Amino acid sequence: MIVKRGVAVSPGVAIGPAMVLGAAALRIRRRFIRADNAEAELERFRSALDHVCEEIATNERQANEQIGKQYGAIFSAHLQLARDPKLISEVDELVRKRHYSPEFASSHVLRKYAHQLQNLGNPYLAERANDLFDLERRILRNLLNEQKEDLAHLTEDVIVLAHNLTPSETAVLDRKHVLGFATEIGGATSHTAILAGALELPAIVGVGHFLTEISGGTTVILDGNHGELLIDPDEDTIARYRDAAQKARAVAARILSLSPRTAETKDRTRIHVYGNIEFPEEAEHCIERGADGIGLYRTEFLYLAGARERTEQDHFNAYRAVIEKVGDRPIVIRTLDLGADKVLPAEETFERCANPELGLRSIRLSLDNLQLFKTQLRAILRAATTGQVSVMFPLISSLLELRQAKMILEDVKEDLTDEGVEFNASVPVGIMVEVPSAALMAVEFAREVDFFSIGTNDLIQYTLAADRSDPAVAKYYNSADPAVLRLIRMVVRAGAESGLPVTVCGQMSSDPKFVPLFVGMGLRNLSATPQAVPEVKEVIRSLTIAHAEQIAASAMELDLARDIEGFLRGELKRICPDLAE
Amino acid sequence: MIRRIVTVTLENGLHMVPASEIAKAVRDFHGRVVLRRDNIIADAHSVLDLLQLRAECGTNLEVEAEGDGDALVVDAIAQLFALNFAVERPTAARRAGTDGT
Repeated sequence: MIVKRGVAVSPGVAIGPAMVLGAAALRIRRRFIRADNAEAELERFRSALDHVCEEIATNERQANEQIGKQYGAIFSAHLQLARDPKLISEVDELVRKRHYSPEFASSHVLRKYAHQLQNLGNPYLAERANDLFDLERRILRNLLNEQKEDLAHLTEDVIVLAHNLTPSETAVLDRKHVLGFATEIGGATSHTAILAGALELPAIVGVGHFLTEISGGTTVILDGNHGELLIDPDEDTIARYRDAAQKARAVAARILSLSPRTAETKDRTRIHVYGNIEFPEEAEHCIERGADGIGLYRTEFLYLAGARERTEQDHFNAYRAVIEKVGDRPIVIRTLDLGADKVLPAEETFERCANPELGLRSIRLSLDNLQLFKTQLRAILRAATTGQVSVMFPLISSLLELRQAKMILEDVKEDLTDEGVEFNASVPVGIMVEVPSAALMAVEFAREVDFFSIGTNDLIQYTLAADRSDPAVAKYYNSADPAVLRLIRMVVRAGAESGLPVTVCGQMSSDPKFVPLFVGMGLRNLSATPQAVPEVKEVIRSLTIAHAEQIAASAMELDLARDIEGFLRGELKRICPDLAE
Repeated sequence: MIRRIVTVTLENGLHMVPASEIAKAVRDFHGRVVLRRDNIIADAHSVLDLLQLRAECGTNLEVEAEGDGDALVVDAIAQLFALNFAVERPTAARRAGTDGT
């Protein structure tokens, strides 16, 4: 058994066979297929080969046109190689008779020929081995890509192990058969991680290089609570994990059964606990778990499922679906937060830049692309004719930016009035406080908005200068850093002075150990991932305000993130022993 | 069955691009067509096989075909050798080709 450690991003334990999605350059380990599946596997190989031939033909055409026929001839030779009857018949035989996977079989055959060429004693021919490796990579890439698409249509339960999963790949994972996933790269608050939470899939990211140590089909235990991946565990370990998973389910069931109860502290202070959602269907999960409404509706996920441009009607339909589900509970719709790790596919406005987290993303992208922004605002205002809808601008970093966004909102209202379209003209407007400049200017912002929502994920990243998706700097990204807590306190105080509601909606508010701290700091609104809502409510019901204030005061006196985290964990253990690990 | 001897006059021997020209030339011939060097026999349809001949400049190869249209297919191959594969490239291009893509 090998144990790999990564960052735990979505809780739960999954036990099952590994499905390994290698990077294109990875050597595929021997992997067998089911004998009765040979025909389907060969069909997959032939289809991959067809794609390879199309790719090569395109390369040949481009080379002929752009650099000359003598270069095109190289691709013409590659095309003959891809169609080589020896390659096809040998792969066919390995798959049929020895039940190799097409990945392993094609790699095996091409590497055999490549090694023969290298050993012929002719340096010129030895170099041709590179052409065979190139073909191998092309075939593998096509086979593996196909497999990625297949993640939406699996027939058996699997645990997906990959170098990386993009947010859109994560969004289409087959929720019935994918039990969980682990990736080599990625950080705790990457959008892939957030999506894993939304899909309620146990997940670990940032494990580091490990795919070459595992072959597909190996049994693995994915422990999303502790960020561990156990490769090829023994029977005892499996039994122990099954047992623990059973107990955890029992605790979760008990807490869930209490979730309809109001979130009130022991001394009867009402705390509102909202849910964060990305997909309209999740609104239902929130309500089932006793959420008081939707504290953060991330609308950019409309753009991840497909590459097509979204119309005003697409936006409108999605918002109406959520409003109808939550009834008269509040809903905060955040305008598009695209850029950085969520790239707008239909538009090419977002170009690769050196520092995407500091680049043209989020509200900046909306202000740069008014058509896109106005389309969304129109849909929000039109959808808001019933229900309690608020609109929130993300990543606001200066008052000027807020004023511009508000001005555009006014323009949209004027247009709708001129057109005689029905809409809600008095939708409250708030901002995400997630850039340190906004927290520092909270008193001034409070005069111009109706509410604040503190986005801790970005606030931590920008305060501590640690990219949240880069595992190399994960140790610098500390939720409990005293600098972060002080910024949060500034915002809470500014809100209290102006009588503005303040919510915390980042990952931090889904972590039970931060709940006493937030309540003690004076927060009365928290917005968590749907599955964390029952736990957050349970912590609140176990607290008194005086106790929470004492915890907050003690935490604010500590000067190291490590100490604050340890202290909060200890307090949680006393308040809710079930919820402390 | 048709047999003929051809000589490799390519500076770098029968490498990948000329081998692919042979495979292309015999693609529509469904009979047996091989190139032989001593005891090494290569299916002319397969570039992978042809490369194994290690046919350097000056090597004699025996072309052998059997089936409907075998005379034509042997002629076509002999023609490629006679023209020195008109596809043979100037040195600079060849060097670029060593990178694979």
